[in-house]
Amino acid sequence: MRFNIKAIISVISVLLIMNGILMLLCIPFSIHYNEDWLPILLAGMITLASGGIMKIGVIKAEDKDLKKRDGYLVVTLGWVVMSLFGTLPYIFTSSIPNFTNAVFETFSGFTTTGATILEDIEALPKGILFWRSMTQWIGGMGIIVLAVAILPILGIGGMQLFTAESSGIKYDKLKPRIQDTALRLWVIYVGLTGLQLVLMMLGDMPFYDAINHAFTTMSSGGFSTKNASIAFYDSAYIQYIIIVFMFLAGTNFPLLYFVLKGRLNKIIENEELKVYALLVLTLSIFITFIIFSETWSGFEVSFRIALFQVVSIVTTTGYVTADYTSWTPFLTTLFFILLFFGAMAGSTSGGFKLVRHILLVKNSFLEIKRQLHPSAVLPVRLNNRAISQDIIFNILAFMMIYILIFAVGSIVMSTTGLDFTSAMGATATSLANVGPAIGSVGPLNNFAHVSDFGKWVLAFLMLVGRLEIFTVMILFSYWFWAKN
Amino acid sequence: MRIIIAGAGEVGFHLAKLLAREAKDIIIIDNDQDRLDLASQSLDVATVKGNSSSFQTLLEANVKNADLLISVTSFEENNLITCILAKKFGAKKTIARVQNVEFIFDKEIMDLSELGIDEIISPESLAAKEIKRLLKEVAITDTFDFDHGKLSLLGLLIDKNSELVGKTLIEAIHLNPDQNFITVAILRGKHTLIPKGETKFRAGDHAYFIAQPDGVEKVISLSGKEHAQIKNIMIIGGSKVGFHAARRLSKDYNVKLVEQNKDKCFVLADQLPDVMVINGDARDVELMEEEGIMDMDAYIAVTGNSETNIISCLMAKNRKVKKTIALVENIDYIHLSQSIGVDTMINKKLIAANFIFRYVRLGTVISLTSIHGSDAEILEFNVPVGSKITKNEIRDLDFPHDAIIGGVIRNNEGYTAMGNFQVRPKDRVVVLCKPESVHEVEEFFK
Repeated sequence: MRFNIKAIISVISVLLIMNGILMLLCIPFSIHYNEDWLPILLAGMITLASGGIMKIGVIKAEDKDLKKRDGYLVVTLGWVVMSLFGTLPYIFTSSIPNFTNAVFETFSGFTTTGATILEDIEALPKGILFWRSMTQWIGGMGIIVLAVAILPILGIGGMQLFTAESSGIKYDKLKPRIQDTALRLWVIYVGLTGLQLVLMMLGDMPFYDAINHAFTTMSSGGFSTKNASIAFYDSAYIQYIIIVFMFLAGTNFPLLYFVLKGRLNKIIENEELKVYALLVLTLSIFITFIIFSETWSGFEVSFRIALFQVVSIVTTTGYVTADYTSWTPFLTTLFFILLFFGAMAGSTSGGFKLVRHILLVKNSFLEIKRQLHPSAVLPVRLNNRAISQDIIFNILAFMMIYILIFAVGSIVMSTTGLDFTSAMGATATSLANVGPAIGSVGPLNNFAHVSDFGKWVLAFLMLVGRLEIFTVMILFSYWFWAKN
Repeated sequence: MRIIIAGAGEVGFHLAKLLAREAKDIIIIDNDQDRLDLASQSLDVATVKGNSSSFQTLLEANVKNADLLISVTSFEENNLITCILAKKFGAKKTIARVQNVEFIFDKEIMDLSELGIDEIISPESLAAKEIKRLLKEVAITDTFDFDHGKLSLLGLLIDKNSELVGKTLIEAIHLNPDQNFITVAILRGKHTLIPKGETKFRAGDHAYFIAQPDGVEKVISLSGKEHAQIKNIMIIGGSKVGFHAARRLSKDYNVKLVEQNKDKCFVLADQLPDVMVINGDARDVELMEEEGIMDMDAYIAVTGNSETNIISCLMAKNRKVKKTIALVENIDYIHLSQSIGVDTMINKKLIAANFIFRYVRLGTVISLTSIHGSDAEILEFNVPVGSKITKNEIRDLDFPHDAIIGGVIRNNEGYTAMGNFQVRPKDRVVVLCKPESVHEVEEFFK
């Protein structure tokens, strides 16, 4: 099978042009803070020019239709190319001169992971830090389209289920539906970002900090402009605002759209949302008591700390207001396990996603009933609809590959000089796009000490995790490249 | 009354037969000349050949002066269009037969009466309703409640162990000193008897009773049956009837639904969360035993094949299932049901025709039903002031021989009507009568 190379280049060129324009948006901040803005202009112009040249090269192409196979390629390629061009501002301004470090930082940005190699974030120019937050915001936008419009069509990991309009319809051509869906959901994404910005400024957060954190909250990214992350803002109001918006970022976006439309019954019947809310709440209350008994800080403070860390980890944002590895080994383990949860599908959060857990758990228990009634048709039910067994198999395969990648990743990372805990933590957090982990890559640490090889591995894991495993893994399969 | 029936299939034909006896002015429209010939030869009806949704045909059938148009062709779209056109042409009321139950259940989304379709019927959905009605009591083959059970019509097979066998109706009264039920009809072979005092019960009779609430159990025990509640039901066939029956029944009973087609099973499992859908063949005895056919209280066979339905019901009966119901296409089979051992046979077209007939008859009559395997009808009347029925005690009324007053509902209380009972205005009276005397009976309530 031949790829529609011109169509692929056409998509990539648009992404680059967008990337370039957004880079240029960092310049006002540089000027405002009296920083050297020429390197950023240069980076922006190079990106723009590259995109422009590619666009001109394929402008005459008539067949702009992407087939399924082109889809897999264009998604992965898009993320990689954007990330690679995204390193230019870091390198040109010498804020992250090392190419590997710059790649790690941009991959962590565009995949909305939030892991950083920066040891002193606040030392970086404001313009560059804004670009850093911007990469996550762009990544978040990409994820929404990916999760609700592209992956369902590609049929990856049961994603066809998780969009509101799920109907199991298989589209061969990707274009018309994507634009339509994406636009609607971007409006919500941008709207919520704006709302959070305003609300945080009402809490006396400076505009620059507010816009950076709004960008990295809604994308469930977790980059902060402060070394101490959100702990820097000693304001209950700001922390609660961030908790709420992290939670929203972890909510299925089509569902948010229905809420805006006033169709509240969609919320009531959504099982994943119930599990999500209940999980966050019960864990937080439970952990509150442990923190309270360990630290004897106030009850409200304990609750806020517990809630913040739980929401941050479950939504794979990765902000911190406290070191969750500092209390008891039990909580360290618990937070490590939480790295494998993820929030709702169709949100900007990464990881395994709750709905997959729900389906697999239900399926496991149904298997007992199936043993007793071998001829009965007992499908797993979600939101009161029966789920096809094909999708369950798909998710089982997803889980298996996820675990496999985690195992292999941990082993590989342990060869790079990380201890057992840190190797597992770094792998899990990268694969789930969370950010902080445990051990030497815990909430108070960063990834600067990881070897160059290790950083490339982690960057790759971030990409694999972000694109729901299959999208990337398919590219490594023989069948994808086979001519017939 | 001028009625146009579009479609001379089984529903249309049976309906015409019911309505023609009522001396209605009936016109049947159909494409098929043979079917029209059959109808005009055996019934007193006029026929028009043509497509019922064509202007020409409708005008030819004089749709402008029709009081009612009933479209019961096998094509849903055709039925809907015929009704819409007929209404526009001036028909007073229209009824369409549909398959898609959305039309029935999602009335709040779109009310079809705005389009000119007054009533929607689906034979499949009606059949499912009928099945649910039949399952109220294991022993009962047929039942109908009046005023939420103040009085009940009960059909029962007289067992050879029954105390009633060999006794006349008068003797039977001694067995039931409370007089809380009354025998209203006996089906013997193909004949329907309106019993008199000296009529004797025979084993194998299919007797119909009107009973007060406290009389139901008495009737059942006298007929030689055990009083038992239904809990577990197996439905064979994921057809539309099977689906609707399962949907209705799963609210109150444990339902297993057996369907052969795997994909269909999935769709059924999707739409019926409370039903266990089994993928398999009902003729596979081993599978049926594995799924606990011995523990079933009722077995309902509603596949598309009448013979499969009957045979599998017999298989279930053989495994001590208390109650079996088979869906049959052939109306003539219905008379066989009791003699071959299937408790009840139903025919969805007959049910649909009866339903429409009831709809048409609604006037002085409040509710109306017909009994399975017989042409006798059950009518419920409101008694107007000064009507003939109130003039005398029942035994002194010159009531038609082919009719019998079963019971009376007075002040929310049900009473069986013995000879010395006098009906008062505002009572509601339940009457069983043969079709020939319907008009005569109606005279008493004017």
